[in-house]
Amino acid sequence: MSDRIVSIIRALIFIVLALALCGVIFSIAGYSATGMFQAIIDGAFFRNNALTHALRWGMPLFITAVGVAISFRAGYFNIGAQGQFYMGAICAAFAADWLNGLPAAIVIPVCFLAGTTGGALWSLWPGLLRLKSGADEVITTLMGNFLAGLLLVYVTSGPLKDPSGSGQQASSTPLDAAYRISTSAGLSPVIIAIAALVGISMWLLVNRTAYGVLSGLAGRNATMVNWQGAKLVNIGLASFIISGALAGLAGTVELLGPNGRLASGFLPAHGFTAILIALVANLSITGIAIVAFFFGGLASAALYLPVIAGLPATAIEIINASIALFITAKSGVIDRLVRWRKGR
Amino acid sequence: MVDGDTIVLQCRDISVHYGDVVALSDLSVAFDRGKIHAVVGQNGAGKTTFARAVAGLVSAQNGQILIDGKAIPPGNVSGARQAGVELVHQSFALPPSFSVAETMQFGAQNRAVYSRKGLEKRWQKHLDALDVKVSAGQRIRDLPVETQQSVEIARALVTKARVLILDEPTAVLSPEGTAKLFERVRRLQEIGVTVILILHKIREVLAIADTVTVLRGGLLVEGPIDTSGIDAARLSELIIGPDLRVVDEDDRAALTGSAAVAHTTAMKEAADGPPVLDVRSLSTRVDPDGPALDTVDLTIAAGEIVGVAGVEGNGQRTLVRAISALADVSAGTIELDGVTMTDAAMKARRLAGLRVIPFERNVEGLSLSSTLWQNWSIRMLLERSILAFIQPAELRKRCNDALDIWDVRYDNVSQLAGSLSGGNAQKVILAREMDDQARLIIAAQPTRGLDIGATSFVWDSLRKAKHRGCGILFISSDLDEIMDVCDRVVVMLSGRIVEAFEPPYDLKKIGAAMTGLSK
Repeated sequence: MSDRIVSIIRALIFIVLALALCGVIFSIAGYSATGMFQAIIDGAFFRNNALTHALRWGMPLFITAVGVAISFRAGYFNIGAQGQFYMGAICAAFAADWLNGLPAAIVIPVCFLAGTTGGALWSLWPGLLRLKSGADEVITTLMGNFLAGLLLVYVTSGPLKDPSGSGQQASSTPLDAAYRISTSAGLSPVIIAIAALVGISMWLLVNRTAYGVLSGLAGRNATMVNWQGAKLVNIGLASFIISGALAGLAGTVELLGPNGRLASGFLPAHGFTAILIALVANLSITGIAIVAFFFGGLASAALYLPVIAGLPATAIEIINASIALFITAKSGVIDRLVRWRKGR
Repeated sequence: MVDGDTIVLQCRDISVHYGDVVALSDLSVAFDRGKIHAVVGQNGAGKTTFARAVAGLVSAQNGQILIDGKAIPPGNVSGARQAGVELVHQSFALPPSFSVAETMQFGAQNRAVYSRKGLEKRWQKHLDALDVKVSAGQRIRDLPVETQQSVEIARALVTKARVLILDEPTAVLSPEGTAKLFERVRRLQEIGVTVILILHKIREVLAIADTVTVLRGGLLVEGPIDTSGIDAARLSELIIGPDLRVVDEDDRAALTGSAAVAHTTAMKEAADGPPVLDVRSLSTRVDPDGPALDTVDLTIAAGEIVGVAGVEGNGQRTLVRAISALADVSAGTIELDGVTMTDAAMKARRLAGLRVIPFERNVEGLSLSSTLWQNWSIRMLLERSILAFIQPAELRKRCNDALDIWDVRYDNVSQLAGSLSGGNAQKVILAREMDDQARLIIAAQPTRGLDIGATSFVWDSLRKAKHRGCGILFISSDLDEIMDVCDRVVVMLSGRIVEAFEPPYDLKKIGAAMTGLSK
């Protein structure tokens, strides 16, 4: 069996086991497990426009998850995607505010530049701390998430506050429609093109450049790559920067696309879902495309469940948490199972 | 006294498998009480597995181990301990931050509360009685290797050990250290301990042991044989086996340590042009991996193999790291092929023909969880720009060709490096580092842990590279190997090169230089 098939089987086993656990939890909580799954599958993939919704949520998740995979491959557990996503959105929002009134052909590219740079910088400082002084990136990027979240609260209730806001949730002034790259429905050719561009370029980077092979080797055995004379610092910094830039890009897409404005605490689980996607896909770019679509479906079902089916949206969070639970068992039971199958 | 009473340790049909690998198969052997027994064999013969099975560290799949006629439960360390079996490991297992006294207490009865002074007093007596010259209050990490080993032996004798197994105790010792260890072993014999020494060299077997048992490929070849009734040549045949007749006589002697080989075939062609390596007054700052270098001078001509002998941890690693642009040079110069490279990056040095076979094959040499083609191609990839376009299919094909030339046994180049045996894994590194553009090849412990076939393959490869005109820096802690392979030998001690030797070599003199006794 090729490694690719093994990792696909492994991902499927994760999801099946996680769903089985969810079934048990749903039953204990007093819901019919089959009914609950029926509603989730309907909500995710079979109701009207379900595929459009799955793609709307899946695209930004895909972009962020690819970034997560880039840093995880190189051996750096940058779990700050959420904060880098926020910083991207914040920087893009400032750029849009600053250039308000200029033609869209100028404003939109500048916003993207600002957003990706913001995300990259928010990933660069933990990267520098890690590579220059050995500070654990798990801690620093996690702190970065909190800082970015608080900054978002400040920005939306301070500098960029919408004066006409209802006061229920602090948010910025809505963007001029000319600067939007999609309607609130959230799917447009521009967004699809961006996701495709990210997918293709990152696939090439990982699979067709020296960086791809070297960063993978460094992630699995940095000592060996160091003895070979590679500049680990450069490979590491590149990985941090790319992963932050992509999260920032996803933040910009959300801002200029479906959201249209900055809201305090928007999409609070985006970065963590992206980590989950990257891990389920075993850090493969193609795999991430498929898994992101699946999680996009779940995300859209989360909105559908309470409104249409009268069920709790937290069901989706339970599914996500269960999948996370089984991913941590990755190197244990499931690997052994796969090996046992291989052995026969 | 009944007849069987002379036997202290008996193994009946022990078999140990690790997954698909058979480490020991149906081993039946009995050792007499109060003697010094040697167990020998090449790497992979099953010596360590035998020791671990007797000490209860691995569980034999079948068979029985009896101490004084009583079967001990398989795979149970405390059971083996109670029966009186103690094992001193090949790589010491003492906690570095503990004091000697704490280490001893650790292996003894558990008492929750103790005072440091009380402990030191109590164990100092024990250490003195065994003539281990160490203060019980010292920390393990501050002790030289030889003392650590004595402490480990003393620790093993805390309980009433009747059978003491030492797993390759001489591997880390200089010849002097080995002589001292053997004295200690004889004294243990006098107080009635049966000692089983796992050894590697025939010379040592004949110097110390009463009997010798030969293992090969997990099977008992012969033994225990009285050492008075066997000579080095016969023993070397038993160890190597029938399949390696091709290996030349000097190599055989070096492989089994049966005689100090007087290597006289120094072949120095008048090399025109600059030396491939010219290191002058090189000093480094303290390296995380070893002591700093102190004004090291070293020159290697084209077509010359220069050996670095020395007890491990005397700066060999720092030397390799300095030449590979990893250590922090504070003074002096490094020239490769006549070009000053003191501050050059590894990329420039590689392009000048520097190749490194690192010390730790599985950590520094290979990424075991990466594919063969990735491991093989990293050197080439690092010679280009990091964003250079690559075609994996083509790299895989080239890797395939290269590994075939080096006779690596593998299924396909996309399998993980960790799935190869030690010898094959080392060949992957050779395939990467010994290409036609190589000028200076650093071979650091290139044969460690390899069986005889793989070891002589590595030696032959290095000799071929030398005849092609490469300069080779050969680092090993095995003097027999160094003397057989090298055209010139330098000895490192505490980060300095203290003495240089030309053939014919004198094992004793080199050994004395290693411990600093010659001056």
